[in-house]
Amino acid sequence: MEQVRNFCIIAHIDHGKSTIADRLLERTGTVTAREMKTNQVLDDMELEQERGITIKLHAIQMKYQARDGKPYTLNLIDTPGHVDFSYEVSRSLAACEGALLVVDASQGVEAQTISNLYLAIDAGLEIIPVINKIDLPSAMVDTVKHQIMDLIGCKDEEIILTSAKMKIGVDEILEAVVTRIAPPKGDPDAPLAALIFDSIFDGYRGSIVYVRVMAGTINEKDKIRFFATDKVFEAEEVGILDMRRVRTGTLSAGDVGYIIPGARDVHDTKVGDTVTNAARPADGPLPGYKEAKPMVFAGLYPVNSDNFADLRDSLEKLRMNDASLIFEPESSVALGFGFRAGFLGLLHMEIIQERLEREYEQELITTVPNVEYRVVKLNGDVVLVDNPAFMPEAGDIERVEEPIIKAQIIVPTEYIGNIMKLCTDRRGVYKNTTYIDPTRADLRYEMPLSEIIFDFYDKLKSTSRGYASLDYEFFENRESDLVKLDILLNGEPVDALSVIVHRERSYEWGKKLCAKLRKLIPRQMFEVVIQAAIGSKIIARDSISAMRKNVIAKCYGGDISRKRKLLEKQKEGKRRMKQVGRVEIPQEAFLAVLAMEE
Amino acid sequence: MGPPLFAHPLIRAILLAGLYLHIPFCEHKCIYCDFYSIESLDPIDSFVAALKLEIAMQSGRSADPFETIFFGGGTPSLLAPRTVGEILELLHATFTIDAGAEVTLEANPGTVDERKLAELRSVGINRVSFGVQSFHEDDLKFLTRIHSADQARDSVRAARRAGFDNLSLDLIFSLPGQTMERWDANLRSAIALEPEHISCYSLIVEKGTPLARMVESHQVSTLPVESDARLYEHTMDVLLSAGFEQYEISNFARPGLRSRHNSNYWNHTNYVGFGPSAHSYWNGRRWWNISNLRTYLEKIDSGELPVAGEESLTSQQLLDEEVMLGLRSGGIDLDGIERRYGVRLEDGSGEELLRLVADGMAVRDGSHFRLTCRGYLISDEVSGSLLSRVEMV
Repeated sequence: MEQVRNFCIIAHIDHGKSTIADRLLERTGTVTAREMKTNQVLDDMELEQERGITIKLHAIQMKYQARDGKPYTLNLIDTPGHVDFSYEVSRSLAACEGALLVVDASQGVEAQTISNLYLAIDAGLEIIPVINKIDLPSAMVDTVKHQIMDLIGCKDEEIILTSAKMKIGVDEILEAVVTRIAPPKGDPDAPLAALIFDSIFDGYRGSIVYVRVMAGTINEKDKIRFFATDKVFEAEEVGILDMRRVRTGTLSAGDVGYIIPGARDVHDTKVGDTVTNAARPADGPLPGYKEAKPMVFAGLYPVNSDNFADLRDSLEKLRMNDASLIFEPESSVALGFGFRAGFLGLLHMEIIQERLEREYEQELITTVPNVEYRVVKLNGDVVLVDNPAFMPEAGDIERVEEPIIKAQIIVPTEYIGNIMKLCTDRRGVYKNTTYIDPTRADLRYEMPLSEIIFDFYDKLKSTSRGYASLDYEFFENRESDLVKLDILLNGEPVDALSVIVHRERSYEWGKKLCAKLRKLIPRQMFEVVIQAAIGSKIIARDSISAMRKNVIAKCYGGDISRKRKLLEKQKEGKRRMKQVGRVEIPQEAFLAVLAMEE
Repeated sequence: MGPPLFAHPLIRAILLAGLYLHIPFCEHKCIYCDFYSIESLDPIDSFVAALKLEIAMQSGRSADPFETIFFGGGTPSLLAPRTVGEILELLHATFTIDAGAEVTLEANPGTVDERKLAELRSVGINRVSFGVQSFHEDDLKFLTRIHSADQARDSVRAARRAGFDNLSLDLIFSLPGQTMERWDANLRSAIALEPEHISCYSLIVEKGTPLARMVESHQVSTLPVESDARLYEHTMDVLLSAGFEQYEISNFARPGLRSRHNSNYWNHTNYVGFGPSAHSYWNGRRWWNISNLRTYLEKIDSGELPVAGEESLTSQQLLDEEVMLGLRSGGIDLDGIERRYGVRLEDGSGEELLRLVADGMAVRDGSHFRLTCRGYLISDEVSGSLLSRVEMV
């Protein structure tokens, strides 16, 4: 155990976490440069590679011959780098004794990095500060050094300067991991307590959990118990994570590896849960387990309603390695049968959506995301509303509460004005400002979550030339003057287009939404009237005049096939649209609110 | 159980048939045209020799009579009348040609005079379709036509003097910047020549044409859809009041003088095409020739059919075509469709059919459903809409 080190990397998106990880793998001979090709090894999901960010965490073991002459086993546990996944981050931090804090020399410290850093400090991890990309012409090494020293109170010489791209400083990092991070503690003879920091689903093997053994030992054939779910399984296979799974048959205190428990349902193996020995259990679970709480909800519908069962299967498979995804069937007049799904945040939603489309080849219509409202009715009943269509009648409502978040925004001082205006426009309540250094401020706001799930993040970036960064956490539910805004097409309500908005902004929203829909809904054979209504009151109106001409009046001789192919395309296009009354609505229209200009 | 055999579209289609000959030569290729042709006239002789061989290759095609022959292109009027005569003779020797067959030749007004027209008539052409396009000199120049407006008028009159009693004029509307007045003048000029048949096509910007490049580089801009629609409405108004019948989106004829050859394209009648890029349809199978003269000649030379591609139409495709082509022309027979395909349009699209009638887009008479002038304007939308709601089992 003395020669084991468990660590992770904390970094903002694009600050070079994956490149550094690749260099470490290469330097320790875990992979050869040839195997590395051009891709970063740690991000093995296609989607992750494309986005250049790490979404799901993984772990990898390296063998390193240190300068002290001893061989070390280094377990690098990967962490997701986005605000939606702070719980997962906290679980992978809990599996480590140390963390590399990687900061881009040209960008400086960002909000996300700070919040994850605090999580790491709270978890008692040894922090090794690393300034990356020092070769960039725009590198501000001294400025970033001061930011880091202010932030964690370290000394100048403790900061490692690297360029993962240029392969500078890789050995220094490895040595620091060995010399500065403490070896894991824990008694291999104590009752088993292993922390699940990730789980994936394999079609043949079922659930595969990635664990850090905190105490005790696990062997294959052991009967094991999961605390949170109270399920008992037999450990079918136990091993470590090299570039792939390497069966060892045993793991003990301090080790990082995997267990295949023969669980067919991913909900039996939840991230953050504790695995113990059924015959000789630990006294209790390791601290910190939380049920993942979805914050953002949206309808997921198959484009072709015949594919409902397919979509359900795909969602169930996805949920196998993403316990934070929840969903239940729902139906919509406009969209037919589908699911209301809950996500950790907007990025999480986009990822699920893209994975369903790419990996499971589902064709989806996603409705406008919303938060969950707590509605107190006059009769005292409390209803949780995660779909605007199911908002109780206005006359039955005593009050509506919405989730409020605490937002932390780090921004160069010259953009403070823009950011403050943006936050105020989004119903933010200013709390305070601190300065990280003379050029960077840390703004704190309380804001309705519903205001940031639309396009807040994009706006934040565009009004700060990309420099502002955001982190947030749920704070409380708070009463607000909210109304349900319905959209009617030729008099028929389109349930999937209903939104819940603040009363003061409802007129503006209605107007903009109608105008946006006018652009998104194609001309039809008849006039289409678009109305926005609160209850029975119409607050905005727009219309799409009837199609004027759609016929190819051309001489095409005997080439009927070409003409028919156009027809087949048109038929296919129409089939992909959803119909309310006689009006055909394209998929994009259901996300119209997301694309609304200010 | 399928539909009764006698009503099957494949059986229905063998009654009459057409022959098409693609003559792929032009003195100059017009900027908007995407039909296959080349600007060199040198290979005409070798082409005609190959065309004759291709006709011979299809000799076993059918013992049933063909009722139409159509020389299209390209510019078929570039052929010497004697050559046209030889081809017709060969067709007569190879196939059974109905005694009353419609034999059409497309002519560019810049390539014919009275003598040539008389010779064409004497070798067996009985219908001439003139590509006039416009009676405005600047339009003709823009379209890079090789003839003047006067030449167009003269050639129509010459055709009359040569004895033709079945003439058609092609016109193009929605030219860039075209006003209602200028298009109306074209229609009036055409009517004044008293043709039996007029085709009016909307200018379509086809990929790969010089016109497409001009549009892409903003040298010209296409007419807005509203103007295009108004010109088309005006076309129907004017020609119908002048006594023409509209029997297809773009085609107008004096009573009894519709183009039988074109009509055949629209009701799944068999036709065999010869020459590069020519399309054929025979009992549910469609094929098309290579669109390249050199390769065409090589294929024929090596004794092979110059076919570039083919498809066997599924019932769904036949249904799609029947509805689409029917709605573009004389209408569809709802009962007939149910008999032939086992599909009731009314099941999926019943409300739509009713609405179209209520909105004045269509007329229904028992089982017969056809579009009105207003409906023709959105014919593609109607076909797509009706067909997207029915699925063949």
